[in-house]
Amino acid sequence: MVRARGLAVLIVATFAAFACGGSGGGSTNKGTIDIGSDLPTSGADASSGLPTQYGAAFAVSQAGSVKGFTLKFVPYDDAVNGKHDPTKGAQNVQQMISDTKLLGMVGPFNSGVAAAEIPVANQAPLAMISPSNTNECLTLAFDYCQKYAGYTAASLRPTGKNNYFRVAANDTFQGPAMADYAADTLGLKTVAVWDDQEPFGLGVANNFAKEFTKKGGTVVARQGFDTSTKPDFHAWLNRAKAAGAQAIYAGATSASYGCIPRQESQGIFDPNSYYLGPDGIGDGQCIKDSGTTMGNDHMYATQGVADANANASAAATIAAYKKAHPSPDDTAAYTFAGYDCAAILIDAIGRAIDANGGNMPTRQQVIDQMAKTSNFPGLTGTYTLNAAGDPTTPALQVQQYKAGAWTTVKNIAVTV
Amino acid sequence: MVQRLRASVITTPTASLINMVGIAVVVVAVVAAAQRIHQQGATYFFQTMGFGLAEGAIFALVALGYTMVYGIIELINFAHGDVFTLGAFFSLALMPTLGLTEGKISGAALILPLLGLFIVTMLFCALVNVVIERVAYRPLRRAPRLAPLITAIGMSALLEGVMNVWRGPFNLHYPDFLPEYQIPLGGDVTISAKAVTVIVVAVVLMVALTLFVNRSKLGKAMRATAQDRDAAQLMGIDINRTISATFFIGAALAGAGGIIYGLYYNSVQAFDGFQYGLYAFTAAVFGGIGNIPGAALGGMLIGIIFAISDGYFSVAWTQVLIFAILIFVLVFRPTGLLGMRVPEK
Repeated sequence: MVRARGLAVLIVATFAAFACGGSGGGSTNKGTIDIGSDLPTSGADASSGLPTQYGAAFAVSQAGSVKGFTLKFVPYDDAVNGKHDPTKGAQNVQQMISDTKLLGMVGPFNSGVAAAEIPVANQAPLAMISPSNTNECLTLAFDYCQKYAGYTAASLRPTGKNNYFRVAANDTFQGPAMADYAADTLGLKTVAVWDDQEPFGLGVANNFAKEFTKKGGTVVARQGFDTSTKPDFHAWLNRAKAAGAQAIYAGATSASYGCIPRQESQGIFDPNSYYLGPDGIGDGQCIKDSGTTMGNDHMYATQGVADANANASAAATIAAYKKAHPSPDDTAAYTFAGYDCAAILIDAIGRAIDANGGNMPTRQQVIDQMAKTSNFPGLTGTYTLNAAGDPTTPALQVQQYKAGAWTTVKNIAVTV
Repeated sequence: MVQRLRASVITTPTASLINMVGIAVVVVAVVAAAQRIHQQGATYFFQTMGFGLAEGAIFALVALGYTMVYGIIELINFAHGDVFTLGAFFSLALMPTLGLTEGKISGAALILPLLGLFIVTMLFCALVNVVIERVAYRPLRRAPRLAPLITAIGMSALLEGVMNVWRGPFNLHYPDFLPEYQIPLGGDVTISAKAVTVIVVAVVLMVALTLFVNRSKLGKAMRATAQDRDAAQLMGIDINRTISATFFIGAALAGAGGIIYGLYYNSVQAFDGFQYGLYAFTAAVFGGIGNIPGAALGGMLIGIIFAISDGYFSVAWTQVLIFAILIFVLVFRPTGLLGMRVPEK
C-alpha cells in the first residue's frame, strides 16, 4: 500500500513535471524530494549525533529547493536504549527505501551501523553519504578486513556497484595521525592501547599501534574490553602503568565508556599523563566522564574532518548556523561535515535532475552523479569523491581539550 | 540432606572422574596464576589486590541482599541489582539538598552530610524494596517458583526503565568526594584512600548485619523463617513482617552499595545494576546461597579473581573465569564454600 501510494505520488510528480514543461527553471514547484538522515540522536550518542543532524538539516533548509523540487528533510534515529544500533539502522534504511520521494540519505554516524545499512541500501539502490564513518573496510579492500571487521567492502555491496560515500578520513589515517602526533609532538615513547571490541574502536586502535611502533615507540600493553556492560579498568590501568606506559590510547567512543579509564586512572597515572583517542572521545560526554582530578588539558582526540573554522569562505554559513543554533552543545566535530554531506547530496540530485531532462531522477541516477562529485566547495574542505566512495583529499585535525572546549591544535591534509 | 548431596557427588564413578578433572583444572589455574604473580613481584601484587578488595567489597554488599532473600523465600530477586543502581541514582539526586557539591566541600565537613546521604538513601531503597515485595512477590508466594522469578526479572526491567526515563541512558558523573592520596603500606606498596574507605564502610555494614542476624530477636525470627516457614509461624513469628524486614535490610545494604559504587567509580548508568547483580549473584552462590558470611566471602573472592585475571592474564578471560567458577561450584560443591546448613524445604 505504501509502495502503491508512493508510486502514485511519483506519477503525479512526473505529470506535474511534464505539465510545467521543464522550462520554468527553479521557480516552479515540480513536487517534493526527501533527503533522509540516519544518526544516533537520543541517548549517549546524541551528544555527537544530534549536532550532526542539525548540520544536515540546516543545509537542506538553506537550499530549500533544487531545480524546482521542494526539499524536505526526514531524520531517523538509530539509537536503541541510548546506543547506536545496527539493526535499528537497517530498519530505518528500509523505511527510507519505501519512501519513493527519498533520493538519498546522510549517515550513518557509526561504522558498525554502516556495515548493517550499506547492504540494504545497496540493493535498493539508495545513495548514502556519511559525515563520520571512518572504518577503512567500509570502502577499501584489505586482507585483514574479514578477520577484524567481519566484512569486506565487496561483501557489503551485493549488487557489485557502489552506493556509499563519505567525507571523513578513514581509520588508516586517523589512528596513524594520532600516533605521529604522540611520537613527534608529545614526545611519547611508551603507550598502552585499549579498544572497545567494536569495528571502529578495534580498527583505529590497531592502526594507532602499527604507526606508533613504526615511529620507534612501544605499545607496552594492548587490551580489548567487552563494553556491552561497563568494565572495571583499575587493574588493567595498574598493569599498563607497571609495564611502563606514559600515556593511554583509547580505541573507543564516549558511548563505549571511552573516557571512564581517564577517571579510574586517578592515583595510578600522573594527572598530567596524556590520554589520547579518536573522534569518538572528542565530545562533551568524555569530559564529564573524565571527572575533574585528572588533567583534562592533557587529553587529545583526532577528528576525521578538517576544522571548518579554518576555512575563511565558510565563515558566513557557520555564523548563520550558530545564530540558528546558539547552544554550544549544538555544534560538535561533525556538525559541518553533516552540512557538507547534505550539500553534496543536494548538488548531485540537482545534476541528476538536469541529466534526466529536468524530471525527477531515479535513485541510480543520483548515485551516478554522486560518484562524479568533483571539487565541491564544502565548509570542511573541497571534496572530490572517488570510485570507492572516499574523498580523494581527506583532511584531519588533532584537537586538545583546553579552556573548556575541544580546540584544534593541528590540521593535517592527506592525499590518497 | 547435605550428607546425601555429598554422597551422590563423590561415589558414582563418572562423578569421581569429573572430580579429578576438576581438581586438576583448579591446580593448573592456581599454578599458572602463582607463576605470573611471582614474575611481577610483590608491589604489583598488593596493588592489584587493593583493586580486587575494593571491587569485591561492593559485590559483597549486593550479594548479601541476594543471599538473604534467597535464604528466606528461595527467590532469586533479579530486581536487587537495580535497587543497587537506584541507590546510586537517588543519592545523586539528593546531594544538592545536603550541600554535597563537588569541589566545594572536602575533609571533615564531608562526614555529616555523607552520613545523612547514606541513611536517607538506605531508607529509601529499603522502602522501595519492601513495596516491591508487597506488590510483586507476596501475592505469588504460594505460586509455582517460576512465577515470582519472572516477576523479579520484570521488576528489574521496570526499575531500569524508570531510571532511564528519569536521567536518560547517559553515563552520569558521580561526584568525587573521597580522598585522593595513596596510603603507603611499606616498600613501594600503596593503597588508595578511596579503596580503603570503600572496604571499611562495606566491612562495617557487613559486620553489623551479621551481629544483627545472630543476636537480635528479629534476626532470630529471620533465621527461623528461613529454616522452616510453617514451624516458625506455629511458634508465633509473624512471617510477613519477617520477610518484609529481610527485604528492607537487603535493600538498605544495596543502597549503601550504590553510594559506595558511585563514590569509587565516579560514574553510574541506568543499566549498570543488571550485570552487577549477576556478579553478585555468582558471589552469593560461590559463598553458599542463603549464608550471610558466605556471601561476603564470595563477593570478596570474586573481586580478587576479577583483579587477578585483569591484572595478570587478559580482560577477555575474566568473564569466562567468573562464570566457569559458578559452574564449578554448582557441580562440585552445590552448597557453596560456607553453605553447610541446607534447610530441608
